[in-house]
Amino acid sequence: MNDRDDFLANIRGALGRRPPLDAPVSAVPHSHGPPGELNERVARVRELISRDADNLMSVLARVAVTSGWNVERVDSAEAAGDYIMDVARDIEARSLAYSLHQVVRDALRPDALSEAGIESVPIALGHESEAQDAKELAELKRVMERSDIGVTGVDYAISETGTCVIIPRAGVSRLVSLLPPVHIALVEKGQVLPSLDELFTLRRDDFVNGNLGSYMNLITGPSRSADIEYKLITGVHGPGEVHMVLIG
Amino acid sequence: METRTRQFRQNSVAALSDENVQKNLAGLYSGFHSARLTASAATSDWQELSDTGRRIKAHVIENLDYYLEMLARNVERAGGKVFFARDAESASDYVAGVAARHNVDMVIKSKSMLSEEMGLNERLEQDGIEPVETDLGEYIVQLAGDTPFHIIAPAIHKSREDVSQLFTETLGSPYYEDIEDLGREARVQLRQKFMAAGMGVSGANFLVAETGTVTLVTNEGNGRMCTSMPKVHVAISGMEKVIPSMEDLSVFLRLLIRSATGQMLSSYVTTVTGPRKDYEEDGPEEFHLVIVDNGRSRLLADPDLREALLCLRCGACLNACPVYRKVGGHAYGWVYPGPIGAVVSPMLTGLSDAKDLPYASTLCGACKEACPVQIDIPRMLLYLRKELTQGDNYPDQRAASPAEAVAMKGWRASVSSDKAIRAANLFARLGQSVVSNEGKISSLPGPLSGWTEHRDFPPAARPFRSRWRELSDE
Repeated sequence: MNDRDDFLANIRGALGRRPPLDAPVSAVPHSHGPPGELNERVARVRELISRDADNLMSVLARVAVTSGWNVERVDSAEAAGDYIMDVARDIEARSLAYSLHQVVRDALRPDALSEAGIESVPIALGHESEAQDAKELAELKRVMERSDIGVTGVDYAISETGTCVIIPRAGVSRLVSLLPPVHIALVEKGQVLPSLDELFTLRRDDFVNGNLGSYMNLITGPSRSADIEYKLITGVHGPGEVHMVLIG
Repeated sequence: METRTRQFRQNSVAALSDENVQKNLAGLYSGFHSARLTASAATSDWQELSDTGRRIKAHVIENLDYYLEMLARNVERAGGKVFFARDAESASDYVAGVAARHNVDMVIKSKSMLSEEMGLNERLEQDGIEPVETDLGEYIVQLAGDTPFHIIAPAIHKSREDVSQLFTETLGSPYYEDIEDLGREARVQLRQKFMAAGMGVSGANFLVAETGTVTLVTNEGNGRMCTSMPKVHVAISGMEKVIPSMEDLSVFLRLLIRSATGQMLSSYVTTVTGPRKDYEEDGPEEFHLVIVDNGRSRLLADPDLREALLCLRCGACLNACPVYRKVGGHAYGWVYPGPIGAVVSPMLTGLSDAKDLPYASTLCGACKEACPVQIDIPRMLLYLRKELTQGDNYPDQRAASPAEAVAMKGWRASVSSDKAIRAANLFARLGQSVVSNEGKISSLPGPLSGWTEHRDFPPAARPFRSRWRELSDE
């Protein structure tokens, strides 16, 4: 018997059973989401977030402040670019790393940043060979480590908790929102979900369709610690300052 | 981790006379406990969530083998490797083996109670590998050569002056007055480690069976570092952490986080499904999940204690407990302190080594009331007290071989019959009058002598209050 068989047989023994199960011995309890088949629920969520987009954005703006974000509402990607520029000037940034979300490409103005003496670096590999990627990644980590600001888009935001959701993929590194001391997240209308329930319904659907990816981050405010005398401090490992720019 | 559960009483006295510890313990109630009450009140359907969470966890425990098999299959489908470890030693061996294969000389770690349980750091050090704890509290505890004091606030027994002193001694940093400066110092120190480490080890808060996903809940971002920066990520998890579907996460994230710190959501929730995909920009090239039993199947085998496996490790019962709030986490002498620790530790380390723990409770019920999945801890403590009065049915089996486990089952079966119990009681009473010495039976005659060679046999149990009075007089 191998380790796994031995381990599972021992559990069955503890539960007073012998043969492996083909199905659970009791009905799977329904979790918190709305009832119905997964695809029906997904359709309802998609309909809701587009129908209720304005209201969800307003609720998010309010809740995100309480969860530690600096919240800015703007009406266009261009205005979001202005805001990024303001933040960069305020903190006297020398360099900025960014992901290749479309909204970031639309908002960011590398030329203007460069004129202001701020270097901006897109974080993406060439994906030509493994060896080449490894070399580039090591260099990009050093770039992000010394960057003053990381700018990303998001996949979703959650109004219940004031959260940004980022799913890494081609052009979207895990680290742009983690290594620099300041993170700016750009959220577009139609990306805001009412609650965690809707997020995990959509992600379960992604899994069914083979699009889960390997990673997902839910980000709710700055990096926090209260490990010494319960006193809240920010920026222990992740960014200590975070901005959520709501576009539209 | 070394077991010091036998010294509960001495440990408690030490904590009670330490002013600093008492001050910080008082902060638990005003801090975490009230934040939990506020957060659960702000969640409109809290009771329904709690009922649902309890139902799902109970269903999983009843079908644990089924869901673990599904989990393993899906982690492998996502390109990860899975190892099932019956005990702490084989789990540590596996992790050390992965490190050796990659010639790693430093491992960065994000907070894991199981790692303490496994003694993983000691094991890595033996192999010449440097384990670095990266959660600020755990980092402090590691620098001090100490053990965690609270499930979610490991260094809460230390004052800022203690930490400043520690940093100057171990890191050569200036003496800082401000906590912000201490945090900055830790950031700088640990950044270098994150950039250089070849392997990251994390715990797991939930394992999603259907997708093969490990979920981590953190506030500082060190969990993200450990799962993103190094080439290899090893997640270690107790076998009870599995849940059926990704949609169940919304229930459990709310229950766990709002009960633990009172936040609506922690700063970071991270899901990991296998190693990085080719088309992704970064992340580990290799992912391992180590699923650990280490005594948990003993809780599973006992219908009266099975409920302890529903625990989400939020720490709410610690903060609510009038005993924990006085004696603190070190008194319990092992990884899991407080009311839930008083149930779990005896089963994981051996009841005879932890016989004071089931009495370290006034049975006031505050723990049950605080528990987000309504675990009836007082009932289980009473049950363990009953077990103690009938002799130690749960001897030390931390490294028990399957053969030993079978032998112990036989022994349990023999004392379960009425006749055997009557005989054993008669024997015990007769024996006790002969060999009892200062309230403890230090040697038993004849066939039971093997039981007392390395441990004291418990005398008849007395209520905690009367023992406590006696203790205060000492």
